[in-house]
Amino acid sequence: MPEIDFSIDTTTGELRMHVQGIPGHACDDVAKLAKQLLGQPAHEQPTAEYHLQTHVRPQARTQTRR
Amino acid sequence: MSKYLTFPDVLFKDRRLLLAALTDIGFPIVEEGRELPLYGYQGDRRSEAADIVVRRQHIGRASNDLGFVRTPDGYVPIVSEFDRRTLLGGDFLVRLRTAYSEQVVQEVRRRVHGTAIRRLEGQTIKIAVRY
Repeated sequence: MPEIDFSIDTTTGELRMHVQGIPGHACDDVAKLAKQLLGQPAHEQPTAEYHLQTHVRPQARTQTRR
Repeated sequence: MSKYLTFPDVLFKDRRLLLAALTDIGFPIVEEGRELPLYGYQGDRRSEAADIVVRRQHIGRASNDLGFVRTPDGYVPIVSEFDRRTLLGGDFLVRLRTAYSEQVVQEVRRRVHGTAIRRLEGQTIKIAVRY
């Protein structure tokens, strides 16, 4: 299940965000939304998960003849 | 007399979330317009102007108006030196940034149709949004 972990430092008000469970560029949508609301981040670093590609494996069907 | 200070590094991108954050920390009544004049605690008009203003009547007897100037990058606060030192125990801007950050999290949660679990760890608010 996709999850976004937010941390807010109450001594500064600074917000940190970590997107998990969304491989590939799909997590860019979440990052884009956050940038719309917060502005450009001071730091932005894609995690290893970001570089994973989503693969769809075709299913093979077997038919048995009677 | 206290002078006004502008904080260009403290930026609030979204007007609606800024208003919600102000409400959260106890300032629900604001004036909005273009280049509204700011007044000091004695009713003296200052040279500064802002687009969102919390009037001193809604802050405290010794306070000056608080303002936010709209810029292409977002809203920038203008706070008097006196209020920066005294308002909310001198934590006005930090409390506002924290409240704004919480509003951002709630907005993201709404847009992704997620659920949020919030907890406090020391001085850090941790919020997990699942969807």
